[in-house]
Amino acid sequence: MNAIVSSEMLVPAQSVAPALSVRDLRVEFPTAMGAPTVAIKNLSFDIEPGTILGLVGESGAGKTTLARSILNLPPMPGRITNGEVWFEGTDLRRLPEEEQRERRGRDLSIVVPNPRGELNPLITVGDQIATRAQVHLRIDKKAAQARALEMLQKVQIPDPKRRMNAYAHELSGGMAQRVVIAMSLVCSPRFVISDDATSGLDVTVQAQILKLMRDLAFEQQSAMLFITRDVGITAHFCDRVAVMYSGEIMEIASREDLFLDPQHPYTVMLMAAFSHNAKLRSQWRAPDESRENATPSVGCSYASRCPKAQSICHVEHPELLERRPGHVVRCHFPVERT
Amino acid sequence: MTALLEVTNLRKRFPIAGSRNVVQAINGVTFSIAPGETLGLVGESGSGKTTVGRCILGLIEPSDGSIRFQGKQLGDQKATRALRGKIQLVFQEPGESLDPRYRIGLSIEEPLIAQRVEAAERRNRMLEVARLVGLSREMLELYPAEMSAGQQQRVGIARAMITRPELVVLDEPTSALDPTARADIIELLMKIQGDLGTSYLFISHDLSTVRFISHRVAIMYLGMVVEQGDAAGVFAHPRHPYSMGLLSAVLLPHPHFKLDASVSLAGEIPSPINLPKGCFLATRCPFAIDRCRTEMPPPTDLGGGHIVHCFRNQDVAHLDRASDTFAEFQLETERILSASAPAPAPELV
Repeated sequence: MNAIVSSEMLVPAQSVAPALSVRDLRVEFPTAMGAPTVAIKNLSFDIEPGTILGLVGESGAGKTTLARSILNLPPMPGRITNGEVWFEGTDLRRLPEEEQRERRGRDLSIVVPNPRGELNPLITVGDQIATRAQVHLRIDKKAAQARALEMLQKVQIPDPKRRMNAYAHELSGGMAQRVVIAMSLVCSPRFVISDDATSGLDVTVQAQILKLMRDLAFEQQSAMLFITRDVGITAHFCDRVAVMYSGEIMEIASREDLFLDPQHPYTVMLMAAFSHNAKLRSQWRAPDESRENATPSVGCSYASRCPKAQSICHVEHPELLERRPGHVVRCHFPVERT
Repeated sequence: MTALLEVTNLRKRFPIAGSRNVVQAINGVTFSIAPGETLGLVGESGSGKTTVGRCILGLIEPSDGSIRFQGKQLGDQKATRALRGKIQLVFQEPGESLDPRYRIGLSIEEPLIAQRVEAAERRNRMLEVARLVGLSREMLELYPAEMSAGQQQRVGIARAMITRPELVVLDEPTSALDPTARADIIELLMKIQGDLGTSYLFISHDLSTVRFISHRVAIMYLGMVVEQGDAAGVFAHPRHPYSMGLLSAVLLPHPHFKLDASVSLAGEIPSPINLPKGCFLATRCPFAIDRCRTEMPPPTDLGGGHIVHCFRNQDVAHLDRASDTFAEFQLETERILSASAPAPAPELV
């Protein structure tokens, strides 16, 4: 029953054409001593229009590198050495630079954390949003202003008319984050990346912003890649969830399957961390010695931390296997439940 | 049992330079912490959590109210000096709170240098406390930049514990950490408390962590504690609309466990310069009636130390689901994750 997944099989059976397909994406960082560090290891996934793919992982897993590389802007000095990013039938990376730039901001958009760093302190937020619409949609200033106002209303900024003339420093963190989201969505992008965009916010504001992003994704039938460290958000907000470790996807499934039947030991370990259950946590982590002797091996990148690792895990790199329709796991010994 | 720390009607106002306006950061906060107890202090940014912690540490002077530690009034210099080292602080950003040019061992010893403890004794106590927090001897020779954030936070805790404090103020100690490092630090803090009986004031906006580490919890809004009581009780049966709204926004990592979403708070926290008359939540509260807009609700004791400041707490009680979602979530997670679990690793922390 288990078959090695070719790239095509990562698309759920009943699906429409994906809005975004990443195929075999590889990103390397040169090092002073010979072999480069591979931050993204031949990663592939799809996102259908109107759906949200959650991507969880801890710091260093390569989440931000992936987000930037999808837009063909890998963080310096990283280089994309392989792979394709198909967006609505074109490989973005093969477009001329000019056209790529046009697409970014219009069709593809990214929301980053730290909204204040993102906003120009000298230009009113209304003008910043309007300029983006003016440049990318080639509409006149008046129409762009109207559109900016409409966006501020959509992100539920109180008194939007007055806020059009506000500067970044006059806004609270939650409000500034909403402005950044309004700016990212003003051109009705058909693909949105949220890179930890809600992590600095209070829970009540976060709830409002998540609902807003979800509604806008649905309304505009945009696809969204939602990157976060907070596994809890993905359980309620995303349609499918991918777990990333060391530049690879370890498991992808619908949120129901992932949380009710997690199969990769790393996924289980992450969930145990959120349950605050000391017994489960000690069961799902490798003894300290084996973790400290971790060396990058040819086998599974999680082997040195995995309590279920056998000798094969240290020598043979596991492929992504489709264990059930739509539930894909990269592990020699996935967890079995009866 | 007498309380270790008693905070009564604490107030703090910050004048604004060049203006007659005043930021009313804390507006009458009362709570106590027993020996060996953890009080979770939660609230959104701007609610005054950190200011309360700073007043207790004597870093800023309260405008009004009293803070008693082991029965003695804090405030005058003599009392504060006698207590130095009995109350300690752990910071949010472990990396930024350590001197990048000090080796870890020296950073841990530093508080004892201030207390003029001799070098040999310092070294012994440093090794003892390093063992307590699970730092190996080799790590003591490292610089902060060579460690992960989780290890840096262990150093932060070791630095606080080396003076053998009775109370540690933990100001968002885990919010900069990854999930696994966060769980490690929480387990470490609970183990230290079990071994040494240290009391904690755990300041955080991460409600699920607060639920698991705290014995009691106090929920702050605009410089007031609007509800406090036993942690499991308040989380399962909140009686203040603000607590309900805060709890309903918690996203547990299981798609079927949604907390009660019957109260959702619209809008944002009002400015602490122009506080509303009456209940501070009235502008955002779906339960607000005319009385709430004119009169400040007094504390109501619901029994068992569960205190709420709300005129309509009876009506809020009708929304109670009579179940403890957090406990149910934990049980269900245990069921799922126990399947084909390997034998436990020998030693944790």
